[in-house]
Amino acid sequence: MASTSYTNSGYDDSKRPFSMSSLRGTPSSPHTPQHNLRSNNSSFASTTSSTSFRGEEDAIIFELGARWLRAGFEGESVPMCVVGCGPEECRRVGDYRGWLKTNNPDTDPAQSRPLINPEDWASAYELWKMDLRGVDLGLVEDKIERVFRETYNKYLLTDAGTSRLVLVLPAIMPHPLLSALLSTLFSRWRFPSITLLTSATMAATAAGVRSALVVDIGWAETVVTGVYEYREIAIKRSTRAMKALLQETGRLLTSIPTARGVRSQPAPGDSGISVRFEFCEEVASRFLWCRPREGPSPADLQQQQQQQPQPDDSETEPTTHHSPLSSLLQRTVEIPSPSNPGSTYINLPFSTFSEPVESVLFAAGTADCELDDEEKPLPLLIYNALLTLPPDARGTCMSRIIFTGGGANIPGIRQRILADVAALVAEHGWSPVRGKVIEQQRRKLANLRISPSSDVQASAQDPASSHLTTDPSEDNRPAPSNDTPTETKSPERSTYSEPNPESATENPTQPQQQQQQQPPEDPKPEDEADLEDPIELKIRRNNRDRDRDALPPSVQGVLREVESLGPWAGASLTTSLKIRGLVEIEREKYLQHGLAGATTREFETHGHHVPDRRSGLRAGGGGDRSSWTLAGWG
Amino acid sequence: MSRPFPYAYISCPCANTPVPDPSKKRRSRESPQKASSHHPDQPKPPPRFDDSEDEQTFDPRAPRSNFSLYPPEHLLYCEDCHQIKCPRCITEEIVCWYCPNCLFETPSSMVKSEGNRCARNCFNCPACTAPLAVNTLENVVRGGTSQQGPWVLSCGYCMWSTLDIGIKFDKPTNIRTQLAKLTATDTNPSRSRQMSRTFADLKSPLSTFSSIDEQFPPAPGEARPDDSPDQSNAPLSPDARFHALKGFYKNQIAATSSSSSDPLGVDFGAGFSSPGALNRIMSLYTSSSRLSSLYGGASKKPKTKPPVMREALTASEGFKTPAPDAEAGLIQRMAADGCGWDGLASLEQRVFQSPDARFVEELLPLATLLRTKRAKRCKSCKHILVKPEQKPQSTRFRIRLIALSYIPLPTLRPLMPAGQIPLPGAGVTSSSSSGSHPAGLSMNLDALPPLRPTQLLLTLKNHMFDPVRITLATPSVTPGRVASKVTILCPQFDIGANSDVWDEALQGNPTAAAASAGGTATSSHAPADQRSSRSGAAPATATAAAPGAPLGIFEKVAEAGKVWDKGRNWTTVVLEVVPGTLPSGSSGVTLPPSSRNPDARTTPRRTTGPDSDSDRDSDTSSFGGKAPDWTGRAAEQQQQQQQPPPPLQPDEDVLEIPVFVRMEWDSENQIDRPGVSAAGEMVKRELAYWMVLGVGRIDPSVLG
Repeated sequence: MASTSYTNSGYDDSKRPFSMSSLRGTPSSPHTPQHNLRSNNSSFASTTSSTSFRGEEDAIIFELGARWLRAGFEGESVPMCVVGCGPEECRRVGDYRGWLKTNNPDTDPAQSRPLINPEDWASAYELWKMDLRGVDLGLVEDKIERVFRETYNKYLLTDAGTSRLVLVLPAIMPHPLLSALLSTLFSRWRFPSITLLTSATMAATAAGVRSALVVDIGWAETVVTGVYEYREIAIKRSTRAMKALLQETGRLLTSIPTARGVRSQPAPGDSGISVRFEFCEEVASRFLWCRPREGPSPADLQQQQQQQPQPDDSETEPTTHHSPLSSLLQRTVEIPSPSNPGSTYINLPFSTFSEPVESVLFAAGTADCELDDEEKPLPLLIYNALLTLPPDARGTCMSRIIFTGGGANIPGIRQRILADVAALVAEHGWSPVRGKVIEQQRRKLANLRISPSSDVQASAQDPASSHLTTDPSEDNRPAPSNDTPTETKSPERSTYSEPNPESATENPTQPQQQQQQQPPEDPKPEDEADLEDPIELKIRRNNRDRDRDALPPSVQGVLREVESLGPWAGASLTTSLKIRGLVEIEREKYLQHGLAGATTREFETHGHHVPDRRSGLRAGGGGDRSSWTLAGWG
Repeated sequence: MSRPFPYAYISCPCANTPVPDPSKKRRSRESPQKASSHHPDQPKPPPRFDDSEDEQTFDPRAPRSNFSLYPPEHLLYCEDCHQIKCPRCITEEIVCWYCPNCLFETPSSMVKSEGNRCARNCFNCPACTAPLAVNTLENVVRGGTSQQGPWVLSCGYCMWSTLDIGIKFDKPTNIRTQLAKLTATDTNPSRSRQMSRTFADLKSPLSTFSSIDEQFPPAPGEARPDDSPDQSNAPLSPDARFHALKGFYKNQIAATSSSSSDPLGVDFGAGFSSPGALNRIMSLYTSSSRLSSLYGGASKKPKTKPPVMREALTASEGFKTPAPDAEAGLIQRMAADGCGWDGLASLEQRVFQSPDARFVEELLPLATLLRTKRAKRCKSCKHILVKPEQKPQSTRFRIRLIALSYIPLPTLRPLMPAGQIPLPGAGVTSSSSSGSHPAGLSMNLDALPPLRPTQLLLTLKNHMFDPVRITLATPSVTPGRVASKVTILCPQFDIGANSDVWDEALQGNPTAAAASAGGTATSSHAPADQRSSRSGAAPATATAAAPGAPLGIFEKVAEAGKVWDKGRNWTTVVLEVVPGTLPSGSSGVTLPPSSRNPDARTTPRRTTGPDSDSDRDSDTSSFGGKAPDWTGRAAEQQQQQQQPPPPLQPDEDVLEIPVFVRMEWDSENQIDRPGVSAAGEMVKRELAYWMVLGVGRIDPSVLG
């Protein structure tokens, strides 16, 4: 390993004049410590360097979601406050009904609450919807103004508008919404600039990783984002998220027979919800839980073992918790009666509270063919997101799965999702091709095989997994440390995949990889270097005289969860390290043109690039100086 | 709606100017005519407030109106802009920070480092938010000195105490520091040193930089879990993890951006210690300040890709993979017998706690949030509107321009039908809620009979020293589904100046003046007193407030075009209201209640003039419980009958009347400009705004 990396570094240094070795050679020479990564985005150098030299106050970071707003100062680990914008926050000034117990239909037990359409029931509590057709943007502006003003006055306790603002936003924001948000903030207060950061990347930052698969079980949508080297490279969405889960919980609580006395059991489909939203959310946050995956069949277990050299995180769990699980299901818990939360309690079996999670997030009881594209269950969503990633990125991301969002707090959900994804991988491998014909073909091919090894049986059971298409390398990525599977599998697979021409066309990378792996007599470090992420390699080289050898190797190819401190903390970290975001919107420039003033990125050369024809407003040549971009939001 | 009926809200005129969208401006500028016809106030997609003219009726039920309506006493007035100022059109500056519990002022330099919370002994109960008291467990008086035992924080309201979470304090002072140390050691003894350090970092931001680097020396030799999932045997608290990550990133940035052996490499404070920095500063002022050329020029290196840093890999760097049994343990704990509903923390309790806190026993006492006193300025002219005294204990203001000293105070009360005994003070915007009055004596404003004309007295009281001319306007039918007809019998009138009360007292009779002297607060009594004073019966005024007052007062019949009553600085006019019927059950048929029967639905809606549109808008298909009549599109009238109307929204039964107020007055030019003759010059001023009068709830029982 030492020898190879040494030669490599020499090669690399020719490309990269700013070499570590040359610097290290002159230890005494004074140099400028570079405390920020401003050199990353050279186009902002002019605008940011001028500001960074004046004494700057701490930036204030807001994380905006559809329901909650987190706010605090940079460099702190947790936000100062988390505020919502429900109906209570949208009351008129001087309307203290929320504090009154009397004459309040919400707390008055005598009044029976009508059935409310689940959509309206939940939508009163959200700041915005992605579907802007029904959104009054003026109302959103009003809400944003009020919630920001009150956050500043109550929690941040600093003068609004004096310091930089950093907004952590979902990666996809409708432009009218973004425009409404920015216009409100800029016209209401005198923020010098607003930086936008994406929540998925920030979640990865807050976990200490550069690449991750961020699973944000949010309000309206679950968004699975593949982040590779801080870039979002794949996004998959599903409507199976907390809103649907709360609505389901509301239906569940509504249908409790003791709750409404004479009320007949409502139809399961579009029935309304009669319980209060707050009560429902309270119940959901306290008691919703997720069952572990049902004990996998022995074949599954076997396959998991083949696929995962270190399967303990996903596999010990169902086996060890079988007996406690059954006792859990026997238990009952007491919750306040939904119809009359103030006075009476009812007993419900503890298992009741895992049902909404099963049916909503995991689509239990719904056939696969009935699922639309936008309502895939979460494990399938994650699997699909991983599938769309390039194999090398997939190997990196699958071992850095980060759960954020409100749904990630449901106990048991992370283990369950990971176990389900592992089962999906075991079942289908990394191939998107499904169908009976394909399976028949594969079966035939498997029967053609001469060497009857244990692998063949596995493949006969499940041809897709043995097919393994593009990347056995990455499935066994951690193998180099304890690498039996690589050696055994790669030759065998090469013989196997030869008679299958469509797989070759389907995965053009395959032959290359095989060629890379063909010389099996290579020393192990070489093999590892080939499989390694080149960037990882570079780092390893650069830092090798330091603590590198002592550190554990980075994990790849195993399904593994990594805990993140959350997007807000990530933004706080990033900002406190004086790393500037790519999207930094300066006040004056925004007020001139609004969102339309943003230049589309240079590498985006689609036809209707916003023309910059106006003369006099911007110096033609010095476009770089005044231009700003919306990057991913553009 | 929110306050006891009747009430009045005032809509700040700033609601009419939407947030300017700069991109629209640009679009109009790019338009071919290239005109300077700069439309800053283009209406937003849902043009609720059409700003061509104020033709649009203000709809108090529109969701946006909740954000522009304020009780009159919440509004300020800018004397420079001559405009009402609501909290949205002011900017605020913090004058001082103080703890609401101990009223100690916190210096501004300490506020942030203390996390915006009181650094003394003020704590709130994590369970019920009541303030916690510092109590001793043992109190043994021995001789002259009292030996006091360990101390706890305890809640006097819900009996929670820090003993519940196993925390005792050694001394009764500086609880917050003690608590920080205790919680650090409690959660994780091995990391206590670090935690207290991070707390110290919080205290002084300067120490962060120095301590982090020594705190995390390159890979401390302790437990180096080989990336197995049980890495979390030494789990860091979120705060410690954050600081570990921050230290890690700093190290990485330093290591990748400069030579690792350089002692200055990790020192972030030394910004100017090297020639490179100087060079950079110098070339700030050159014309092309691209960073690449900057650095290129400085070190003769062309720009390259920045070196990359590695990922965090160990727990000491802030990396964490969850323990495999963590979630299962949580579920077990949730289902345990001892836990239950009350063992789990509520959402409200968890808001300010650590994100991991899920059970009540994990809640920590919260230091009291500081509060601020804020000066307020007009957003457009920066004129200062409110300036409180700096001392937290003082409730005085140096400057306070509240709107009520400029705009007339509206008060509303029902006009009793003749023959009933009036209760002075009943129903006017005083604290007495009319619903609590004995039945029959006064109108129950919580159950207004629909379709029965009700007369209301609207009194406007002027607090300016100039007489004001008022013009009132109201839509004849209130917006919304519940269409009530409103008529202002005398929409135009004058209000006298708020002259010295003694002027009138000396002219008229002394008792009335004395009564109206306290009129600002007890405005409810003022009209009655004034009225009797006008009648000239001096002895009667003394008993005017009593229920047995002269009955003749209300025998007067309201006449159109005539002011009902008038006093020194107030005028009362009559509003006639016919409350509409609530739509549930029937389609809002305007039939007299006596002849109401289900067959009467064929009667067309009379009162659905302007609001039939909004009615249909709210009939979204998602509402309909029954299948809508798809074929019967013959008449929209018919459709309205076929489709059951959506259920009554909350507060839809509240009768609120939007009233447009326009006031004109001549005032002295108060701003002494040099050159302009200051004194005596009269300037004509006008002010217009929407006001919402909440009359009461319409009786839901009178329905079909």
